[in-house]
Parts: sequence; C-alpha cells; structure tokens
Amino acid sequence: MNTKKWLLTLVFLLIVLVGVPWAINASGRWDFYYTLTSVALLSIASAGVWLTFYIGRINIGQGAYTLIGGYASAILVTQLGVNFWLTLPLAGLACAIISVFIGLPILRLRGVYFAMVTLVLTEVARLTALALPITNGAKGIVSIPLPAELSLFGLTIIPDFATLENPKLAFYIAAVIMMVLCYAALYRIVNSRLGHLCRSLQQNEELSASIGVNTAYLRVIAYSISSFMGGVAGASFVSISQSIYPSTFQVVDSVNFMLNCFLGGLGYVLGPMLGTLMLYFGWDLLFTMGKYQLLIYSSLIILLIVLLPNGILSLPLFNKRGGGPK
Amino acid sequence: MEQILVNGLYLGAQYALIALGLTLIFSLMNVLNFAHGQMYVFGGFVTYTVVAQLGLPFIVGLLLSAVVLGVMGALIEKFLFRPVIARSKREESTMLLAAGIAFFLDAVILLLFGEKQRGIPKIVDGVFNWDFRIVIPYDRILIFVLAISAIVAFIMYMQYSKTGRAMRALAQDRVAAELMGVDVKYYSMIGFALGAMLAGLVGGLLVSITGINLGMGGPASIKAFMMIMIGGAGVISGAIAGGFILGMMESVGLTLLAVYGDITYLVIFVMLMIFLSIRPQGLMGKPWG
Amino acid sequence: MSTILEVKNLTRRFGGLVAVNSVNFTVNEGEILSIIGPNGAGKSTLFKLISSFLKTSGGEVIFKGEKISNLSPHVVARKGIVRTFQETTIFRSMTTRENIIVAHHLRAKASLSGYFWGSAKARRDEALFADSADEIITFLGMEPIADELASNLPQGNLRALGIAIGLATKPEILLLDEPFAGMNHDETMHMVDLVRNVQKERGVTIMLVEHDMPAVMKISDRIVVINFGEKIAEGTPAEIRNNEKVIEAYLGSEDDAIGI
Repeated sequence: MNTKKWLLTLVFLLIVLVGVPWAINASGRWDFYYTLTSVALLSIASAGVWLTFYIGRINIGQGAYTLIGGYASAILVTQLGVNFWLTLPLAGLACAIISVFIGLPILRLRGVYFAMVTLVLTEVARLTALALPITNGAKGIVSIPLPAELSLFGLTIIPDFATLENPKLAFYIAAVIMMVLCYAALYRIVNSRLGHLCRSLQQNEELSASIGVNTAYLRVIAYSISSFMGGVAGASFVSISQSIYPSTFQVVDSVNFMLNCFLGGLGYVLGPMLGTLMLYFGWDLLFTMGKYQLLIYSSLIILLIVLLPNGILSLPLFNKRGGGPK
Repeated sequence: MEQILVNGLYLGAQYALIALGLTLIFSLMNVLNFAHGQMYVFGGFVTYTVVAQLGLPFIVGLLLSAVVLGVMGALIEKFLFRPVIARSKREESTMLLAAGIAFFLDAVILLLFGEKQRGIPKIVDGVFNWDFRIVIPYDRILIFVLAISAIVAFIMYMQYSKTGRAMRALAQDRVAAELMGVDVKYYSMIGFALGAMLAGLVGGLLVSITGINLGMGGPASIKAFMMIMIGGAGVISGAIAGGFILGMMESVGLTLLAVYGDITYLVIFVMLMIFLSIRPQGLMGKPWG
Repeated sequence: MSTILEVKNLTRRFGGLVAVNSVNFTVNEGEILSIIGPNGAGKSTLFKLISSFLKTSGGEVIFKGEKISNLSPHVVARKGIVRTFQETTIFRSMTTRENIIVAHHLRAKASLSGYFWGSAKARRDEALFADSADEIITFLGMEPIADELASNLPQGNLRALGIAIGLATKPEILLLDEPFAGMNHDETMHMVDLVRNVQKERGVTIMLVEHDMPAVMKISDRIVVINFGEKIAEGTPAEIRNNEKVIEAYLGSEDDAIGI
C-alpha cells in the first residue's frame, strides 16, 4: 500500500470511530448506533459473499453460515459459559469446517446451479435450527448475556459490556474494528498472488487447472474463508440482539447479502461495504414510509438494476482510470 | 404405505407444475426466476378474491389466476428482463432483478391481500376411503386430476403447437433459432408469460385445499429450485420427474422421519448434495461446463 | 532421441461412440509432433486424454516411465505436460502480463498463507515471476501489448498469449490445440516461427493438433494421423504426404461429415 492509501484508511478510521460517534451525540439519534453496527457486521458477511464471487461462484447461502455462527456462539455462551470473545473465532471456525464438507460436493457446480444449491442451503439451515433440540426450536435462545470481560494475565483487554455506561457505543466500536480487519484481510487477499489465483478461477477454471492450480482446493479454501466471515458476523449480531431464532437469518438475508455485493460493485473490495450501507441504511430510512416500506425499497432496487445493470460502481464517475468493467 | 404413495403423487403433481414454469423460463432466457414462489402466491390470492370475495365459481377464479399471472409475466419480461438482459454484461444481473421482483411482489401481496392465511370453501365435499388404507378427500383428487391435465396440456402444447415448437427451438439454441427466423423477443415474452401462468394456476389450485399466505412464496421457490436441480434445469421431463420425486420424498420423509423431529428437508438436502456431486447436471439435464 | 511420452492402447468411449480407439504412439524428447485427421476424428479427445481433462475408457498414457492417465489435470500439469486450448482460452479480464504472471503457478515455492502475509519466500516468488514474465514477453515480442487487457487483444495476439501462458509453467511437453486456426497465411507463418523458436531455444517438446496442412507439413518433425478414432499412419511429413490411407481418409471425409 502506498502513502495515499494509508492516509485514506486513516481518514476513514477517524470518520467512523470519532466522527460518527460525535455526530450521533450531537444529533441525539442514538438509534443510528444500532443501524450502523448492523451495517458493519452485515458487511462482514457480505464480504464473504464477495469473496466467493471472486472465485466465480454466486453465493446465496451466506445466511446459513451467519445462522450457524450465531447459534454456535449462543450455545457456547449460554450452555458452556464460554467468554463471548472466544466464541467469535470458534463460531467462525465451526462455519469454516462445516463449509468444507458442504463445499466439497457443491463447489463443483457452477453458475445458477451453485446459486440454487446455496439458496436451498439457507432454508435447510433454518429448518434444521427448528428441528434440533440444542437450538431450542422455534423458541430460539434468548437472554444471551452481553459480552463479558476479556483479560489476559489480569490485564483487561475488553471490558465487560454489561458494566459499560454505553454498550451501544462499545458494540459499534467493536463492530467497526472487526469490519476494518475483515476488509484489510480481503484487500490483502485480492492484492496478493492469492487474488490473481482467485481471478484465474473466476475467469477460466479449465485454464487455471491446466497451469497447475489445484482449483478444487482453492475453491474450498475461499469458500471456507467466506463462511468464516459469515460465522463471525452472525455470532456478533446475535450478541447485540441477545437472542437468536431460526428466523434470525433466512433466505431473504442471503439474498440481501448477494444484493449488497452486486449493487455495491463486484470489481472493488469496498463494493460490499458500500452496498450494505446503502441497502441497510436505505431500508432503515424508509421505515417512516410505514406499510409502503417494502414496496418502495423493492421498486428502488428494481429501478437501480434496470438503470444500472452493471452495478453502481460501473458509473463513469468510478471508472476514471479506465480498465473497464469485467 | 399406499397412503404415503398417494400423498406423494398428489404433492408431486402440484410440484411438477410449479417446476415446469420455472424450468421453462430458465431454458428460454437463462433466468432463474426467484419470484416464482411469489407469483404462485399471487395466483392463489387471485382465486381467493374471485371465489371467496366475489362469490364466483372456482373455475372462474382458476382461469383468472392464470390470465392475471400470464399478463403479469409478459409485462415483467417486456419491461424489466428484456432491457436488463440487453444491457447487462453478466448473467447474474437477471438474478438480482428476479430477487428485486420477488421483494416487490411480496410488497404488493402484503398491500393488496394482507398477511393473513386465506382459503376458500371446499369445492367438493366427502372423502374417498378405501378400507382406511387410502384416505383422500375428494377435493384433493379433483385438484390432482386438474394438475395432471394441466401438465398433459402443457406437454402437448410444447410438442405440437407452432409456439411450443418455436420455444423448444429457442431453448435448444438461441442463436440458431434466431438465424432460423424465430422471433426471439416475442417467444421469450410468451415463454415467461406461460411460466408465470403455470405458477398462478398452481396457486389457484392450492388455495382450495391448504389456503395461501404471504410467507409461502419463498419456500415454494426453494422447493422448485430443488426440483429442477434433481431433474436437470431447463428440461421439461426433468421438471416433471423432479416434481414427483420431491413430492414422494417429502411424503415418505414426513411419515418415516417424524419420530426424529422435522428433519425431512435436511435429509433431502443431504441426499441432493450427494446426488449432485455424482451427477451435477441432474437426472435429465445435459452435461455442462 | 529418447521417448518422453508413450500412448498405449488409449481408448475413450462416449456412450456407444468410440471417439478414440486403441491408439498407440510415442513422442520423442524435443520434437514437434503433430496429430492430424479429418473433422471429428478424435484429435481433441486424444489431447484431453493426454492432459487428463478426460478420463480414459482403456489404455494408458506414460510420461517418463510413469503412468499419468486419469490423474487430476493440475497434477498432470505439475508433472510438466501443459495444454493450451482450442478456443484461445485466456484470462480475459487480466492484462497480458498478469496472465503470464499467474501462469507461473507451478513454480511457486511459498504457501497460500505465505502470500497472504507476504513472507520472504512469497516476495521472492513474486519478484521471480515478474522477471520471468518480462523475459517471456521479450522472447515472444509482446512488449507493445504487455499491459493491454486480454479481452482487447486481436486473435493472433491471443494465440501467442496462450503459448506464453504455457511457457510460464516451464513445461516439458506443450500441447497446442489448433494454434493456427483462423489465421491468414502471414500470421500462420509467424506462428510457425514462434513455435519453432520455443522448441529450439527452450527445448520444449511440442505436440499439436491442427487442420492447416501446409503449416503442419512445415513445422512437424513427425505426424500421427487419426481417422474414426484410430491411428492410420505415422511418420515424417514426407512419408505422410505420400501415404495412400491418409489421402483416402481426407478425400473420403469431404462428402460425409462425421461429427462426434
């Protein structure tokens, strides 16, 4: 990364970590904390979907992994008393492992076939959560405690959220930091040789195999990273709402994750973040429309696709340097 | 056992009809119609309105469901899919559009018909009972017969009518069909309308038995996806096979797996994954990729 | 000259059709061997079998004394047999240089996580690949198009890029699928020189499938002729030119097109 990019990153961090809290304080719109925290977390899940697209697969199954991650964390916290912050990586890991087993057979499918199977996966995850005893069926898991203190050698790294004066702000800060880490990782993947390899899969799997890339392995790796992100996002989301039900993440959410990526722009690492912000924030703002909320929201989406079938970032404004869309 | 098979056949006939519409649209335009389930629900509400609200006969409701959805399908193709397909650089855009339309239809259904479960009075009373080995209400038999006739009519139409032949040519090879002088735009629109019409028809059929509600759209689409994955996407025989297989598996699963809780669809999904890893193109699909 | 590749009784059936029927031949190290035959004779299938993109129905392919048929394509590539594709297959939304750099995959020493964290090995790899890509670009005279997106390149350049991708893997055997298809005479002759250069200066054994007879006659050391999935002749261009069976096969195929 060059100096300019470091500077931009710094400006971004200042805005989200200092500017936004200040603005919320000044305006008194405390509810925006919840909205923006959700945007940050959902954009982590969307980043995963984006990564699967990067290897040439349309993933409409991220909702399954956010759900699995959410349940994994909820069960670990409530039944085994594990510290929430430890359940985060564990939830991600659980999703990654499950995704390897699911990915091995289904990643051989392409195009709409993969899309269909992942969509079905979301529904199956929901039905499974309804049926299993450990997830407590439709009643779900409720009253999940707020994240406890995380300390190392007696040194408090993260304070107990329950004792905080403003847990909303704490959640927001935590979510933003996770989002930044996630996108830093994504940026690194895309801008290293790994990105080249992923793009080689996206563009031509046969050629990729013939130059010696183990395509099946790489696909599973990318898919499990994607699912890891989904799991972490789901676990965090559940911790904020302090409850999880089979309907917490469903097909609509999977479709939304996909929409976030596509509408934000697939050629850009920050595309899914932009897409999530727009769609989620837009949805939230339309709340005032009452029963017409979904109608206006969906009309806008349709309009956007009809007018800009190649994504918002396909606007000439974003393509000054040429290169053209893929 | 007989009862399970009969239930499976009954479910399968309706499922096949849904899958036929989806696969037709897919084969003609390479569009995965996410809104298919919503179209089906919409069709159900049309019949509900005609029969329960206006008090007209069931058959009128059924026909009106088909007509309304057919017109809706044609309009959606002409004004939404056609421009997007023409200008989009990737096929995924149509998937997004279909998702947007699914949301939109959900919103319209919510505004027009509300969230409540709706049904219409029984069209035929009485129950067929064969020694308690097969128990099936007469109205289900009627619906089954209607569904099967619709499937047969559809196949005949695709096989023997000029439009059907043109659509089959289009599905096989878009470019070649265009060169042969098939009006691709026109037949894409007709195909989409026909697919939507089938969805509406099933909705109309089903509202008389189980009723209909807003939340049924999404799951219906998902079941339809499973069916065409089983049978092979874009193949008529595959859609029918997939429909009956899923109906049968659901019927068998609900009975045999009941003791383990509601895990039928988990089991079906695992089986589907194993099946697809052996045969990614489905039972009757052409190999691809 | 020593044998580098041996094809033994190689057979492939598609349903009832026998696309390749018990074909035998050997490839010598460092030569250019062409496989020719009428349309649908099974040449492309043969190529796919050798590079393991298709599973065999019978027989085997032996590379340096080791059986390689029915391995994964990437494993075969790793052993040194690399194929370029008929439909000028390249990574379309990468530049020429990026295409070549990616294709160095077989020579990567660092692990995937090494690339993520930017380990010393990974940085060495990346520097090496960049240098090697530059060298290949110079070797093939592609400097003017080095930073052009592949999707913007004309067909002739794409074909050369296909070969550049093949070279980047440092193959022992390069399989070229119709390298001259759709080219005019000048382009073809340019390509013939290019392929010759690859063979001479880089010591790569080359197998190619081709329709363009004059080019094949000019470029090949030896030729194998396939018809209806079976080998009907093998020999130097001069021998093939005068082989009756070959002439018959080519004349006969003109009025009945056989499609597999």
